[in-house]
Amino acid sequence: MLVEDYRAGDMICPECGLVVGDRVIDVGSEWRTFTNEKATKDPSRVGDAQNPLLNGGDLTTMISKGTGAASFDEFGNSKYQNRRTMSSSDRAMLNAFKEITTMADRINLPRNIIDRTNNLFKQVYEQKSLKGRANDAIASACLYIACRQEGVPRTFKEICAVSRISKKEIGRCFKLILKALETSVDLITTGDFMSRFCSNLGLPKQVQMAATYIARKAVELDLVPGRSPISVAAAAIYMASQASAEKKTQKEIGDIAGVADVTIRQSYRLIYPRAADLFPPDFKFDTPVDKLPQL
Amino acid sequence: MEQNNSLPPFQGLASPQGAMTPGMPIFSPMMPYGSGLTPQPVTNTNSLSLLEEQQRQQQQQQQASAQQGGVPGGLGQTPQLYHSQTVTTTTLPGNTPLYTATPLTPMTPITPATPASESSGIVPQLQNIVSTVNLGCKLDLKTIALRARNAEYNPKRFAAVIMRIREPRTTALIFSSGKMVCTGAKSEEQSRLAARKYARVVQKLGFPAKFLDFKIQNMVGSCDVKFPIRLEGLVLTHQQFSSYEPELFPGLIYRMIKPRIVLLIFVSGKVVLTGAKVRGEIYEAFENIYPILKGFRKTT
Repeated sequence: MLVEDYRAGDMICPECGLVVGDRVIDVGSEWRTFTNEKATKDPSRVGDAQNPLLNGGDLTTMISKGTGAASFDEFGNSKYQNRRTMSSSDRAMLNAFKEITTMADRINLPRNIIDRTNNLFKQVYEQKSLKGRANDAIASACLYIACRQEGVPRTFKEICAVSRISKKEIGRCFKLILKALETSVDLITTGDFMSRFCSNLGLPKQVQMAATYIARKAVELDLVPGRSPISVAAAAIYMASQASAEKKTQKEIGDIAGVADVTIRQSYRLIYPRAADLFPPDFKFDTPVDKLPQL
Repeated sequence: MEQNNSLPPFQGLASPQGAMTPGMPIFSPMMPYGSGLTPQPVTNTNSLSLLEEQQRQQQQQQQASAQQGGVPGGLGQTPQLYHSQTVTTTTLPGNTPLYTATPLTPMTPITPATPASESSGIVPQLQNIVSTVNLGCKLDLKTIALRARNAEYNPKRFAAVIMRIREPRTTALIFSSGKMVCTGAKSEEQSRLAARKYARVVQKLGFPAKFLDFKIQNMVGSCDVKFPIRLEGLVLTHQQFSSYEPELFPGLIYRMIKPRIVLLIFVSGKVVLTGAKVRGEIYEAFENIYPILKGFRKTT
């Protein structure tokens, strides 16, 4: 039956007065915390949440930049300057994680995709089979794979837009990573991109559903053999929007989807003859099928 | 020295069968190679006599056609099979059990399993042969570029002379080390003949050119299976060999392991095979892939 004397940090037996432990560290919280509105900052934590999966779990600490006037000397330089050589072994990896977070932020990707990307990058980095390639290229390719694996694929052009690496290099790294990690990804379909493209164009839900149906039907009826699913999706969106009140030009759709407007024209020419069969049965036509533009 | 004809041997003539004395000029066009029954393997001649080269090719053609019973063939443009190398066109004995088309079967065999069926009647046509040869002496590219016809040399862009000849229509990259790459020929014999022609050009310009280590590095063939193919199905079942990314390339890239050939398979049914060192590999690879493609024929 030991009693803890919190003031001295001792464990004392109340019967005989023997001090068992000495200078026991109090692991209770430093200050009182209340569950208040500001739930973002948790005062009982004194640092960032550690991510042991990715950083190897080192427990190094560092002195942060000072606040207040005393920490700067006369020229305005900070007095304590040693912030380098923190974790030299995986500095490149941490840099890549920062880059991944930046890229994902630009296209508003959720945390789960970022985590998956980080995991993929870590696996590739540890394997060292792609060591010669630019880390940014590997990171972009990992981002692409993560989006695919989560079921919300992004086109190569969308990843290119947030990365400094060319589509060619990202494509090369993508194939190399799949080889190195011995995984594979599902084939892209037209429906994966409909919601994103249509909302970027500002098209109502009816048009989006119609475009999804048109694209799916076109692929089923094999009207567009050998065409990239992105081009087919763009042509379907064009047809659906032209039949509704919200008409979009090929140029606008090409801009959003990253396809050339001649490509949309080509795919549209392939699906135009069967336009009547492609629309969903309950679609409200603003422009009837025979008045659809013919290019 | 061996004699298999009645002509007295010339001074310095080398035996056709084996011991080639390097450096000795071979001249006689009248000395047949071998007994005329078995097709001769390609001899490692160092001389550059084009006439003898063409003679030798014609000899081989005659022997091949004599074996086949008089099927005519042009100089190296055999649309039929090239019989002087062992080539199997029938289906390979499947060393794996029945080929199942379910996508969830783990496919551990290396060779795609071929069900026992008759071979396709289609023969891939060779489109390009890349070969290398060592001319065995250092070359001065500037003099070659200035004196030879149809030669271009831009040292700032690329460190070799690019030379072209019209017959056989080929292009050669000639490097200052004396090594040469010959591309564009449609058959092995044409590639060799073209390489010899380039070497002759270099020789005539005054360099002591030889013809060492001629080797075919790559052969490209193409053919048409005449029916559309469901690439999505193929990539699902043969995931570990195939790569199909419509965003990157419209064709499916199939990396066959045995023989080690890369095939580009398109929706239209056209197939391009590349990476072969010998003609037989192209044929073998096509015979391996044909039953698989038949299984993914588009039905509409």
